[in-house]
Amino acid sequence: MTDRIKEQLSAFLDGELPDPESALLLKRLERDDDLRGALSRYSLIGAVLRSDGDVPAARHVAARVSAAIAREPVRDAKFLRVPRRDELLRASAGLAVAAGVALGAVLLVQQVVWQDPAVTTAVVAQAEMPPVQPVADESDDAAVAYVTPPAADAPAGIPPAELANYLVAHYGYASPLVRRSVGAGLISDDESVFVETLPPAETADP
Amino acid sequence: MAIALGLAAAPAFAESGQEWLARMGAALNNSSYVGEFVCQSADRSERLAITHRVRDGVVSERLVSLSGNGRELVRENDEVVVYLPDQKLAIIERRSGRSDLLGALPQFEGRMASWYKVDWVGRETLDAFGPTAVVAVRPVDRYRFGYRLWIDVDSHLPVRSDLSDGSGRVIERLRFTRLEFKDDIPDSAFEPALDRRKLRWVRQSPQADEEAPAWRAAHVPPGFRLSASGVQALAGPSAPVGHLVYSDGLATVSVFIRVPNAGHVPSEGTSRSGVASAYTTVVDGHQITAVGEVPTRTLKAIATSLRPASASPDQARAASNRRD
Repeated sequence: MTDRIKEQLSAFLDGELPDPESALLLKRLERDDDLRGALSRYSLIGAVLRSDGDVPAARHVAARVSAAIAREPVRDAKFLRVPRRDELLRASAGLAVAAGVALGAVLLVQQVVWQDPAVTTAVVAQAEMPPVQPVADESDDAAVAYVTPPAADAPAGIPPAELANYLVAHYGYASPLVRRSVGAGLISDDESVFVETLPPAETADP
Repeated sequence: MAIALGLAAAPAFAESGQEWLARMGAALNNSSYVGEFVCQSADRSERLAITHRVRDGVVSERLVSLSGNGRELVRENDEVVVYLPDQKLAIIERRSGRSDLLGALPQFEGRMASWYKVDWVGRETLDAFGPTAVVAVRPVDRYRFGYRLWIDVDSHLPVRSDLSDGSGRVIERLRFTRLEFKDDIPDSAFEPALDRRKLRWVRQSPQADEEAPAWRAAHVPPGFRLSASGVQALAGPSAPVGHLVYSDGLATVSVFIRVPNAGHVPSEGTSRSGVASAYTTVVDGHQITAVGEVPTRTLKAIATSLRPASASPDQARAASNRRD
């Protein structure tokens, strides 16, 4: 990351970056993991964590990003939109990217604001297992949390068929409150599901 | 189904979310019904038919996709069969002797109360069902999802549920559009509407004679504990895979440990299917995949901390430092 970008990021957080440059920065945030990480590390985030989010800077950034969203085409406001990979790639030159980036930035701020640091200090003990330790909270993760569209160049993870096989095995353990949703996902009208299944455990009939 | 907000007749007693969840749990364990529901998320809207029967303590359920692909999921107690006629494939997952499998709704008390807060929201009238009791189950941190449930005040069944992130934003909504109670549903109602002879059958079952995997998570998010471990056959891998289950009492994470097939480059990264996500990484030459209806950060925290039992404390510490 160049010093120029860092200066832009700092100016953006201070509300001093001109709108055209802000738009470019938002687009860059969408595809640059390091930049998102830097954003989360900046002093603004520390200030948010220390003050339960009630800091003018946080509100200012949220307002600026919200304004960026307002200038873009409106998406379905009811649900979080996680674009498919091909959509992300196609969107790189479109207005949707700016909206997605802006949404991600808003979520970044909101998630950090919402997190309760006290909760993560509990230690879990298991009678039959070696003591386990709590996971240290990683504020940087806020930039790649589940509500943020993944970067187009992020690792793709396992193929859909492999995921489906795991989900079948997991289905019986899923929370009773979402088990039907997991089942619905398994039989959804998704052409990619199962098509690559390799069946070494295959049998002739049930 | 449009949702109408309104005030139902005020109850004569103070209502609590805990009590309504208990009623809902009892109804889920004892009711037989048929209906249709819609599963809706940002990139998916799926309509499904459901047939659910409880008879002599045996739970049977059949889900049928109404999108036209003919896919079905049929469960009878601990056996689940996923029928995929468009792929000419059926996958059987069968377990035995597991009383906690496909279990009932847990009590939100004791340690559960440390990770979820149950709030009574109020009464709301849904057009299709009339008055409902609305209860929110809120996570206390970012390692689990929250729920808002609309419970029919007559049947005590949840007729709508919203899965939400820690900020209350809806990730997925499941809502019934039709619900009809049946005293006795015949066995034939659970037969798939397809020619079973034309399917390739793949069996995914636990390997009882295999030793449980000697892997454990060195770090887990607060509240999560190991609740099951074993080895099972899985479609795809040439050898059985290790399967660990971590749970906070409500949300669960399955961790699969496999040796990559010869010549196969292990995958890494995140995947998603409906409400479930997966995070895959490589530890000690093994592909580790954590799957569950939890935020990705929870999956990542567990998957990246997995270690073979033989790992020395120094190795585990070094790996942990690398992760941090």
